[in-house]
Amino acid sequence: MGRPGKFLLGGSGLLNRSTVNKRLPYILLAPSVIILLALILYPLGFALRNSFWFWNLQTSPMPLYHSGWDNFRMVFLVTPFSEALKNTLLLAGLGTFAQFWLGMGIALLLHTHLRGMGLMRAVLIMPTTLAPVVAGFLFRYLLEPKGGILPWLLKGLGVPVPPQGFLGNAGTALFSIGLVDTWQWTPFFAIVLYAGLLSISEEIKEAAQVDGASGWRMFWSVTLPLLRPIAAFLVMIRFMQLFNSFDLVYVLTNGGPGTASRTLSFNLYREGLVNYNIGLTAAMTWLVVIIVSIIINLYLFFVFRKREW
Amino acid sequence: MRRHTARQKLAIYALTLLVMVFFLGPICWFILLAFRHPSEAYTLPPQLIFEPYLGNFIDTFVEPGNNAPQLVNSLIVSSGATLLSLPFALSAAYALSRFAMRGKEFIMNWYISLLIAPPIVFVIPYFILMSWIGWAGSYQAMILTLQTLAIPFSVWLLKSFIDEVPLDLEEAAWVDGATRLRAFFRIIIPLALPGLIVTSMFTFVFSWNNVLFPLVLSRGSTVTLPVGTISFFASTGVYWGHIAATAVVAMLPPMIIFLLLGRYVVRGLTFGAVKG
Repeated sequence: MGRPGKFLLGGSGLLNRSTVNKRLPYILLAPSVIILLALILYPLGFALRNSFWFWNLQTSPMPLYHSGWDNFRMVFLVTPFSEALKNTLLLAGLGTFAQFWLGMGIALLLHTHLRGMGLMRAVLIMPTTLAPVVAGFLFRYLLEPKGGILPWLLKGLGVPVPPQGFLGNAGTALFSIGLVDTWQWTPFFAIVLYAGLLSISEEIKEAAQVDGASGWRMFWSVTLPLLRPIAAFLVMIRFMQLFNSFDLVYVLTNGGPGTASRTLSFNLYREGLVNYNIGLTAAMTWLVVIIVSIIINLYLFFVFRKREW
Repeated sequence: MRRHTARQKLAIYALTLLVMVFFLGPICWFILLAFRHPSEAYTLPPQLIFEPYLGNFIDTFVEPGNNAPQLVNSLIVSSGATLLSLPFALSAAYALSRFAMRGKEFIMNWYISLLIAPPIVFVIPYFILMSWIGWAGSYQAMILTLQTLAIPFSVWLLKSFIDEVPLDLEEAAWVDGATRLRAFFRIIIPLALPGLIVTSMFTFVFSWNNVLFPLVLSRGSTVTLPVGTISFFASTGVYWGHIAATAVVAMLPPMIIFLLLGRYVVRGLTFGAVKG
């Protein structure tokens, strides 16, 4: 093994090197994989064990008694789990959809390359740089029912504003959270999709033009398919980040009014760190882990099957 | 490039103006709030011209300045998480970039699945673990657990930078008798240095902006700045002046870092998947 190379390269260490090389990549990966496995398997194991135990941190520092599948039943009886799941999917689905198409529109604006678009690209990203809680503070101020500038502006335009404000109304609370997230993350889609537009070669576009494609036809049949790999990646990342929404819910509505804007993450937080119902939280953790795994694997299977990293 | 008629240009600029007002207006309005006297937070119709008031910043950061130590805490936790992740991420990224190995795609997907997993799932068990081992409310509890995000992110981004260092250069060094380790420090590190800096800057921002881990794992004296701001939503009232002053200070470092990052923003936000 490696004999011609040894001669060619003249180094006596090459043979040695190639045997080491088989193990070396795994040795280099090991530290990060070990620390991450420890950081993940501990919580998952913890949740698996305690999902079958009754344990409330307010009454005991340790699990009290074995309770079979009770915790799993209680998740649906005591917490608004199905409502939270519905809210989460609605928020993630609609939010990702809105952000993608708004971002695409802005990317096309940037792609006109008119004077000033460079500056716009540089400052447009500012909402995305904010911590989600800070975006939450910002919009709680803007949406404040008495004295906030947005209800004032909308009233001026004749739009009906609920008396409890958009965040305090059961029909608009979840929608408002989605809107704030859309405000924060549309620029992210815009600048990444713009980078994607730049990477499409002029030759392909010219070839399409020679074939008579222009305007919308060009966009749907040439541009969009070429952006597909980038779009698939962005949509996956954003869908899951929205699916995990906690910060915005915590600051904007605290899951309310009632349970109208609870997401799965917020539901877990309430049960675990407000009610200290550790056993029940553990059962819910596993339900969420299973749902997330299904979503991620479906996505990886259908979208990334042929992708080479 | 396509030419635009004057009317098209006008339409494009009108739309652009609308976009800019929608996305930047809220930030500007909130920054103004930080300079308003608390009694003027809700003045309607809105007042654009007013006498700037620095009391909100003085109250929170100077005298009594309860939020100044929180600013330091944010710096400690974010820098700590960034520094701890680098050696782990660098060696893994080098392995994934430079070796053919079985299961590479699986490992890359595994890292990214950690990045998009719900962090709340991890943080509740950490909360209990940390009090059992006596780390409750410590910096190291936050710095260690933030690695679940910092390491996978850094591996992905760093790999994209190491991929760009030509293999020829490394091979030339081996031919000259350099060991792999020596070639790594003499070739890879200097050539991938911009990538290392960019990765560190992003990891710092993501750790800085993370609220869930400090919210659950910090305690009194280790609270980070954004978590400290939340306490101004008190049962006795909402202190908008103080909220705005502390939040404006909390949003400055990420904004400045993103402006410095310039053309690397796209690459960082997509974990290196889109070069930009």
